[in-house]
Amino acid sequence: MTTAQVVQTRPPLADARAASSAPALTWPLYAVVLSSAAIVIGLLWDISWHSTIGRDTFWTAPHLLEQLGAIVAGGSCGWLVLRTTFAGTPEQKAESVRFWGFRGPLGAWVTIWGTFVMITSAPFDNWWHNAYGLDVKIVSPPHMVLALGMISVELGAMLMVLAAQNRANEPARIRQLGWANAIAGGILVTMVATVISEYAARPNHMHGTRFYQVAAGAFPLFLVAFARAGRLRLPATSVAAVYMAIMLAMIWILQLFPAQPKLAPIYVAVTHMVPPSFPLLLVIPALAIDLLLLRLGRRHDWLASVALGVVFTGLLLAVQWYFGEFLLSPGARNYFFAGDQWAYMAQVAEWRYRFWQVPKDALGNLDTARLARGLGIAGLIGMVSARLGLWWGNGMSRVVR
Amino acid sequence: MTVKAARLLAVAGITLLCSAHVGSPDVWYEGSAGPYHVVVYVRMPGVVPGIADINVQVAGPPPDQVTAMVNLFNANAGTPPPDIAKPSPAGAGWYHAPLWIMAPGSNSVTVAVKGSKGAGSVVVPVTAVANRRLPLERSLGGILAAAGIFLFVGLVTITGAAVRESVLPPGVSPSRRRIWGARGAMAGSAAFVGMALFGGKLWWDAEDQAFRDEMDRPFTTTASVITAESSPLLQFDITDSAWVMRGDSMWLRENHKNSWSPLVTDHGKLMHLFLAREPDMSAFAHLHPTTTDSVHWINPVPDLPAGRYRVFGDIVHESGFARTLVTTLDVPAKAGDASRDSRAKPSPVLGEDDAVYVGGAAAGDTARLANGGTVVWERGRVPLTAGAPAPLRFSIRDAPGGLATLEPYLGMAAHAVVLRDDGSVFIHLHPMGTISAASQATFAIRQQGDTATGAIGRRIAADDSALAGMSHAITAGTVSFPYAFPRPGTYRIWVQAKLAGKVETAAFEARVREKAGKGKENNRLN
Repeated sequence: MTTAQVVQTRPPLADARAASSAPALTWPLYAVVLSSAAIVIGLLWDISWHSTIGRDTFWTAPHLLEQLGAIVAGGSCGWLVLRTTFAGTPEQKAESVRFWGFRGPLGAWVTIWGTFVMITSAPFDNWWHNAYGLDVKIVSPPHMVLALGMISVELGAMLMVLAAQNRANEPARIRQLGWANAIAGGILVTMVATVISEYAARPNHMHGTRFYQVAAGAFPLFLVAFARAGRLRLPATSVAAVYMAIMLAMIWILQLFPAQPKLAPIYVAVTHMVPPSFPLLLVIPALAIDLLLLRLGRRHDWLASVALGVVFTGLLLAVQWYFGEFLLSPGARNYFFAGDQWAYMAQVAEWRYRFWQVPKDALGNLDTARLARGLGIAGLIGMVSARLGLWWGNGMSRVVR
Repeated sequence: MTVKAARLLAVAGITLLCSAHVGSPDVWYEGSAGPYHVVVYVRMPGVVPGIADINVQVAGPPPDQVTAMVNLFNANAGTPPPDIAKPSPAGAGWYHAPLWIMAPGSNSVTVAVKGSKGAGSVVVPVTAVANRRLPLERSLGGILAAAGIFLFVGLVTITGAAVRESVLPPGVSPSRRRIWGARGAMAGSAAFVGMALFGGKLWWDAEDQAFRDEMDRPFTTTASVITAESSPLLQFDITDSAWVMRGDSMWLRENHKNSWSPLVTDHGKLMHLFLAREPDMSAFAHLHPTTTDSVHWINPVPDLPAGRYRVFGDIVHESGFARTLVTTLDVPAKAGDASRDSRAKPSPVLGEDDAVYVGGAAAGDTARLANGGTVVWERGRVPLTAGAPAPLRFSIRDAPGGLATLEPYLGMAAHAVVLRDDGSVFIHLHPMGTISAASQATFAIRQQGDTATGAIGRRIAADDSALAGMSHAITAGTVSFPYAFPRPGTYRIWVQAKLAGKVETAAFEARVREKAGKGKENNRLN
């Protein structure tokens, strides 16, 4: 399949008038994509830091990486907005949207907004720690404000790439920008996967229904939207592959560094940086999403969302149910799969190698009725998520500024 | 974050009573760390996880190194590296280390000293609980609200821009229809964000409620005088489900509670019960009720004037968690023989370590004892200040005026009980400080593999040396208690020592003033 064919599968963009002599990726695009990568890598590193060393300050390396990402992303977008507003060429102004009298690409505004949200979360989080104690968890109100900011920065980066992609009309540039878009999308999916990792990452959760409900709520939204808006042959699969690559790189690199806890109580004798759990095998349901959308085209979105929700949830179940069993087995307790790795403060005892929150009847056997009901709900959630993803993807596929 | 949420939180900030002792969470220890004499003062965080401020004073020549380490009683896979304490700006040989206490419950602070006399260390038990709720300051609330409004308007504007222009080919102006569509999208996004903020507020409220539910509170208890057989009995019951149901794993699971470990004896007693008459604190008793089930406790009714009494019961769990139970007791007129004597007159039915004192505080610094001796508070001329080390130093003299010989009273040279006149501060002090000797013993004798509940308690009860080892060298006639009053106010101090086989009690009044300049929390050692 060539990129020329790819272009043909898309509705023609009547407006592809942007100057084709300009390089596909200008430096602000590089800056925001690299910044959003820095943010998500910093976040994964920071979580590992809290699982391994425990004690931190404002100035730890992962914090600095996250802050640097926010500053560079917000700063370069701020510069882009000021340049476009006050010194922009007519073309640059034409490729921008208006915000309180200033002009800049939509993605730049979203990134700037996200930077401000990240900044706002800092005093809120600090107060929260003083008021309620340092929360050693991901899902708390100030952390969600911070995550919203991070996601917005990454979303803005993706929108900037997307607008450039949608304006492009040369196959080589479409391909280049399509990959840039897949990377920006993969970073975003990694971020989302990290936010929900307390519910949908550990293999121990993979026989419970909440794992599938949370995953079906979060992932189809993004994967379907990318499938619709990306211009690679298999956009959702590419995005899922980028997510898996980032996670695997983090897993394989973090484990190389010796470290030990500096806080009590220590219930797990940790000797090196604790990596995140092995990534979900999202490429498989993502491939199904891509193929389904290629087959159904753009005319049956309601039908497509029903099919997408069912297919995503079903394939995720088929893959993770058994892969989860493998990840809990001795075969996964190695450098490659990083199974059986726990934060120093984890008190898992006999639950270490078991599945958690499995629907069971009074005799302790798998309660298939409850399991089926829970998975049915996951499927319904997946349909809603896919429908939202289609709307969002349709919008994103038309963004040109 | 909305302004309303900020305001709600600002007015909702409250300070609650705290467990291990009441209203006096900070920890003092004075004693030996190997060959060194040290004073350890731990300012506890009001929330957990939070930072404990650990201060160590080493007597004699400056040591080479002072380290501190925090650990939870049941950690079983290693200890974190100790932190080096730095010389404190307060001077006077103080060293300082701020350390995280990550887990609520019975924690220990291990202080180690290295110097010319070699190495020595001591374990100081600390009870970490959340005991205060922080209001959102007006200034911070204002900043957050302003940021929130800015972000809200920004998001709505971006939504409008996205719908109005972002999908238009470069250079094309939006149509009238598109402009109205953008306005609709802005209204929709404002409604959506409004709902999200409302959801966030509900979430915040739920988190706040969960925090308050988890905040430390004393076990619920009741105390009453009952008539059993011939004589009246003081009955003290722990009625709290968390304690009564501690052995019911089903109930614990359903109520998301951890099982409390059993009680251990402290100075050979499972409970130290203190009564103080309200409102004038004109009568006081230190009793040791007995129990067969750790739930219902009984004691002969001491010889006390009728009236309402504040009741404080000190107990220690096997984990090392020390707590004070709080309730009130109505003593009827017929219960005692309503002695008009203002001096202690222990009823013959009480145990030999039980003591009753009826009377007010000494007029000055000298209190006269029932045996004709005196207790002199050597308080010096410095006024008592909240948060500053209080000079609780007493010399106990016999009738002729010489320093008395103090016999061990429950393993200690002397005991002091401090009570604020409104009952909001209560603490039972020893010359070794605020800590419970039993709590310290649980850490000293805990071995890896001590997972069976009751093992430590049995060892403490069986091994008298575990208790004797904790007792302090008895100084002839002079005792001091390391302590800082937590708040300004009027306090009563009862000092108890055993002289010639009899427990003698002296009472003093302490008026504690606000710290000058009220330099907020900073360095209270100054």
